[in-house]
Amino acid sequence: MSAPLSLSELDLPRRNGELAFDAPWQSTVFALAAAVVDRAFAGDREPFRRHLIAAIAAEPERPYWESWTAALEATVATLPERPTS
Amino acid sequence: MSEDGHHPAPVSPIERRVAALEALLTERGLVPDGFIEEITRRYESEIGPMNGAKVVARAWEDPAYKERLLTDGTAAIAELGFGGAEGEHIVVVENTPAIHNVIVCTLCSCYPWPVLGLPPAWYKDPPYRARMVREPRAVLAEMGCELPGDPEIRVWDSSAEVRYLVLPERPSGTDGLTEGELAGLVTRDSMIGVARL
Repeated sequence: MSAPLSLSELDLPRRNGELAFDAPWQSTVFALAAAVVDRAFAGDREPFRRHLIAAIAAEPERPYWESWTAALEATVATLPERPTS
Repeated sequence: MSEDGHHPAPVSPIERRVAALEALLTERGLVPDGFIEEITRRYESEIGPMNGAKVVARAWEDPAYKERLLTDGTAAIAELGFGGAEGEHIVVVENTPAIHNVIVCTLCSCYPWPVLGLPPAWYKDPPYRARMVREPRAVLAEMGCELPGDPEIRVWDSSAEVRYLVLPERPSGTDGLTEGELAGLVTRDSMIGVARL
C-alpha cells in the first residue's frame, strides 16, 4: 500500500523538472551528514567528502544516495565512542 | 508547527540503515530537534537554481557587479544574501561567443549548493562525470546543447576547494526586461553549462 500523498509533496518545487530528493530517507541522510559535518567536524566537509569519493569509487554504479549513506556510515565509524561535549 | 511529525516505518534495507544512523546520531546529541525537517525544507524550497538566476541577472544588468562576481564569486554572491555549505569558494566562469564553460565533479558530486541547490541526478552519475572531461563536445550535443560558432570548451572539475558557476551569455532581445524578468530566463542547466539560453 502506498503512502498517501501529503500536501507538502504536492507543493514541492519542481524547478527544471527535478526534485532535490526522491524519497524521505534521502533527505534524512542528507541532513544527517550536514549535522555530522556541523557538529562533529566543526563545519569541515573534507572528511565526509573523502568517504563519499571512496564510496562512489568502490561501487560506481550504486545509486548516489546509497553511496552517500555508505559514506556517512564510514564517517560515523571514525567518531569517538562518546561525544566530548 | 508542522502538520504531521510522523515518519512511516522504514521498509527497505537502505531505509533501515538510514533510520539506524538517525537513531545513533540523535542519541549522541548530534541531531538537534527539527534539524532534518529544517534542512529538507530549505533545500526543497529556498536553496536552488533560482538563487543563481538572480546572481546571473544582476551580473547582466550591472557591469560593476559582474566585475566583482568574476573577481570574487563568493563575496559577490554573498552580496545577494546567498552563502553557506559548499559555497565557501565559488569561482564564476563567463561564457562568451568564443568560450563555453561547463562544470563537472569527476570524483563525487561537488556543486555550488547556495546558488544551484543540490545537483541533478545525471550530474552525479558515472557517465556524465567520466565523459564530460573526455569528450565534452559529444556529451553536450547529446544533451541538446548546440554550440554555434564552434567555441572553445572549458571543462571545470569541481574540487574540495573550488565550486564553479557558469555565467551564461545574455540572450539577445532582452534589453527592455527587468532584472526579475531576466532571472526568470536563467535555467539551472545554463549555469552548469549544459545548455544555452
